[in-house]
Amino acid sequence: MTTLSLRNLSKTYFDPYAGAHVTAVHDVSLDVDKGEFVSVVGPSGCGKTTILNMIAGFIPYSGGEILLNDKPIDGPGPERGVVFQSFALFPWKTVLDNVGFGPKMRGVAKAERDRIAHEYLALAGLTHAANRYPNELSGGMQQRVGVVRALANHPDVLLMDEPFASVDAQTRMTLQEELTRIWQERRPTVIFITHDVPEAVFLANRVVVLSRGRVLEQVQVDLPRPRVWNELIEDDEFKRLSSHVLHAVRSA
Amino acid sequence: MTMLLRTWGVYSRATARWPLLATLAPFVPLVCLWIALTESGIFPRAFLPGPMEVAKAFLALTYKGVLPDYLQDSLLRLATGAALGMAIGIPLGLLIGVSRRARRIAWPLLLFFQAIGDIAWLPILLIWFGFGLTTMTFVIVYTVLFPVALNTVLGVESVPTDLARAARSLGASPARVLWEVTLPGALPNIITGLRNGLGYGWRALIAVEIIVGTSGIGFMMFDARRAGSVVEILLGMIILGSLWYIVDAWILAPIERATGQRWGMVTS
Repeated sequence: MTTLSLRNLSKTYFDPYAGAHVTAVHDVSLDVDKGEFVSVVGPSGCGKTTILNMIAGFIPYSGGEILLNDKPIDGPGPERGVVFQSFALFPWKTVLDNVGFGPKMRGVAKAERDRIAHEYLALAGLTHAANRYPNELSGGMQQRVGVVRALANHPDVLLMDEPFASVDAQTRMTLQEELTRIWQERRPTVIFITHDVPEAVFLANRVVVLSRGRVLEQVQVDLPRPRVWNELIEDDEFKRLSSHVLHAVRSA
Repeated sequence: MTMLLRTWGVYSRATARWPLLATLAPFVPLVCLWIALTESGIFPRAFLPGPMEVAKAFLALTYKGVLPDYLQDSLLRLATGAALGMAIGIPLGLLIGVSRRARRIAWPLLLFFQAIGDIAWLPILLIWFGFGLTTMTFVIVYTVLFPVALNTVLGVESVPTDLARAARSLGASPARVLWEVTLPGALPNIITGLRNGLGYGWRALIAVEIIVGTSGIGFMMFDARRAGSVVEILLGMIILGSLWYIVDAWILAPIERATGQRWGMVTS
């Protein structure tokens, strides 16, 4: 069942420095099924973040359409959860209140949203940090909060914009493994934007290679789950897929 | 040299244990200098009285109830003016910070009127409202309003776009984004504005009381000048400084520590 559908999506904007219209996204069509994990990978400037911002409703699109459950999207909305590269946690709210923010906006009573927040914090192993402020946490922990904050709102699709790009390499691997575990438990529909090819392959059911605002290639990833780095790093199929995607990205 | 360092070490430890000492100790040399000056007899006593005479005047005026009354008048005026200034300045700053149109219209006006200093309004205010509370309140509101409004605008602009986007995609309406994200995000700047505004307001109040006043610390000082009582003028000056220290250190600084600094939004 298709949850999200991009049809001939395009984005042009006026570049005042170049003095001309620039096409950032060109005629992109993509269907994402319910419960699917899709990675979108491409070099910087390929339009991947622009696509995500259009799906999130943060910026308008110039042509085509974006359908969520067969209905066109209109501005940002809670049915499309977003995880930001900058984490975007509310500094003045405790971790618990950050995670409970979505339910609060839905009008859920305090006791119930605290229960929901505690449940999701436990999912990310953050129970001990519930009453801390974001700036008291490490980058890795902050992004765990960012992920469960979006999940606690039960979005139809989870949009992740290079969420692990600003944490160190070791933490990143741990976060990637945790994300695959959480995905297996909860089966959210995910669109994951990254420029990191092994990351894209490690996480996804399907990798979409983007180049100059167009879909260049789509690669199905049927690696068994749960996925852990210690095993996959030696896996021939993982190596073959990664190398295939890498060549596609670099040829772009 | 080592002797000096050792003394400094003792001082640091002592002030860390007794914070009040850290406040008072820097004034010790100043007061000593003052005593030395008065005792030396360079100036006549009536011209420069010593600390003991000022302390006696403090006790006498407190006992008579004049000082507490004047102090209450001044603080009440400042509090009223500050409250009104914030009630206008914060919403105005939010509006200008959020809406590009409002900003385009209001910014030139804001800068223009900010440049007309508080005291510069007095001549026309005296004609319009006379020597009274309205004139004094107007000046205080005016001095508090601009730092609060301008800092609120800066605060709103300092809130990262991603925070508002995050709130929207968690289901917040634009109005709730204003309340849940923009306002708390701007709060550290608003407090800075309030701190500046109150400081300016306090000074403006004394100036206005000198010109307009029938009571208050500023009036007391100017009235003392007429009577040639240097003791009361010095007492007034000391009260001004001490009171501001108390407001800043005991009220404003703790608010700053509990908000922006706690949240890691401003470095202490």
